[in-house]
Amino acid sequence: MPEVIEVCPVAELQPGERRLVEWEDLEIGVFNCGGTLYAIEDRCSHDNGPLAEGEFDEEQCTVECPRHGSLFDITTGRPLTLPAYVPVDTFPVIIEDETIKLEVE
Amino acid sequence: MATTEPKIPVEPPVPSENEGLRGINADYAERFGFHDAENYLYKAPKGLNREIVEKISEFKSEPEWMREFRLKALEHFLSRPQPTWGSPMLQEVDYDDIHYFVRASEKPGRSWDDVPADVKKTFDRLGIPEAERKFLAGVGAQYESEVVYHQVREDLEQQGVIFVDMDTGLREHEDIVRKYFATVIPPNDNKLAALNSAVWSGGSFVYVPEGVHVEMPLQAYFRINTENMGQFERTLIIAEPGSYVHYVEGCTAPTYSSNSLHSAVVELIAQPGARIRYTTVQNWSTNVFNLVTKRAIAQEDATVEWVDCNLGSRLTMKYPSVYLMGERAHGEILSIAFAGKGQHQDAGGKIIHAAPNTTSNIFAKSISKDGGRGSYRGLLEIAKGAHGARSKVVCDALLLDEESRSDTYPTIRISEDDVNVGHEATVSKVGEDQLFYLMSHGIPEDEASKLIVNGFIEPITKELPMEYAVEMNRLIELQMEGSIG
Repeated sequence: MPEVIEVCPVAELQPGERRLVEWEDLEIGVFNCGGTLYAIEDRCSHDNGPLAEGEFDEEQCTVECPRHGSLFDITTGRPLTLPAYVPVDTFPVIIEDETIKLEVE
Repeated sequence: MATTEPKIPVEPPVPSENEGLRGINADYAERFGFHDAENYLYKAPKGLNREIVEKISEFKSEPEWMREFRLKALEHFLSRPQPTWGSPMLQEVDYDDIHYFVRASEKPGRSWDDVPADVKKTFDRLGIPEAERKFLAGVGAQYESEVVYHQVREDLEQQGVIFVDMDTGLREHEDIVRKYFATVIPPNDNKLAALNSAVWSGGSFVYVPEGVHVEMPLQAYFRINTENMGQFERTLIIAEPGSYVHYVEGCTAPTYSSNSLHSAVVELIAQPGARIRYTTVQNWSTNVFNLVTKRAIAQEDATVEWVDCNLGSRLTMKYPSVYLMGERAHGEILSIAFAGKGQHQDAGGKIIHAAPNTTSNIFAKSISKDGGRGSYRGLLEIAKGAHGARSKVVCDALLLDEESRSDTYPTIRISEDDVNVGHEATVSKVGEDQLFYLMSHGIPEDEASKLIVNGFIEPITKELPMEYAVEMNRLIELQMEGSIG
């Protein structure tokens, strides 16, 4: 059964902003692309380095791995450029009681 | 315009079988090591900063997105430390002592008559126009930072084949370039890719439409002329489904006592069922640092082959790679390196099996002589889900004397059970017994050692177009001078 974790109040994650959350040994980046929220694993599939703190392009809804430059589609977790070629995990985002929540397992 | 007088006729002398061997240094100076007087339209001062990058973009009247791409890449380059792996020689590179942009002509000529006379004379001496007439489907000739001549056969143009220099590619086919540029090698991939992304100039843009087979090779020739030069060409080849193209590149430079830098980025995209073969005969003078990133994507049923011959340069660090992204894609890397006095050839290749039933081969050969160092550095990766993948890696090294060195750094990562992977590595010396056997049949020692070396590299040279195979064998024979003591 997936577990639901709280991220923050909706008002605290405005368009163009991101937030990192941890759950057990998982690190997750939550992004607001033009009002729509997405969550992806904070781990580049190329060499397991951190991903979510890379350059965030709100318009394209992409994040660039700060280590070797792979560009990831935040909506799907898929890499758009090499050297990464394996998608990273994505997590369903729920909004309940004006709070952003994630389904994790 | 002023120019130095050629010291040799246009047709380079070919030694007869009985002529014996000459030293490589004397020959390189005559054939490739000469330089022209500098009659440049623009030569950037040494060193790299934002102003130089903006100037390059401005000179080329680039769209704003490319200017921003360059400036962002410059930040990546400046913020990344110099790599510490590979070769200790890498620490000798002085980025402040390089000219990052030199313009020799206004725009690429479509006829050799449009090329500045002294530059044309250089390419005549290198035999490029003659090779074009004889066996090439298209030629690009780059002199310093930019392409000075570009031509492709009319029948190919009529079939929709695009073969232009990269600057023209961006100007005339911006939509295609923007879609694919830096998707295979992003600017932040590594420090040298970031450098190229910031200051790239020249190189080739090749687009082959669906089903078109370019039967004769397209060739690019890269020439550095000035001292302390940095050449940063950028090449992008896209082969649409079911098409085929063979791209060949060669390069030389004058011999100077101070260092030059060549740092290219080459991206290949083979769409489903396409085949791209990319052949390099690298023969930079031994004051050139050759630090190049080459990478290819092979989609479903596509094939990418890198034939990579490294003879020149002071230090080469280059590992052409193929990402096998679609089912049944095939990758092939044939790498040969010759490390002579003062040289380190750190070469090899990478294959990433990212889809089921993909196949690959890596054959790497290195020859070290007179204290030269040849290294094989390779990666074979089989990703989870790439079941049925098959790969064979063979790397062999031949040491021609006691002072030379060979290293092998193979990495194999396998995340799938149902695969077939073979790895073989050998290091051998030209043995007394082999020499004795041949000499006992009346073959002189020099000839005998040449035969052994030729036999060693034959699996690679047989894959080269005939004209290059002959040239390659000749260059290696020259480097074999006095190799057996």
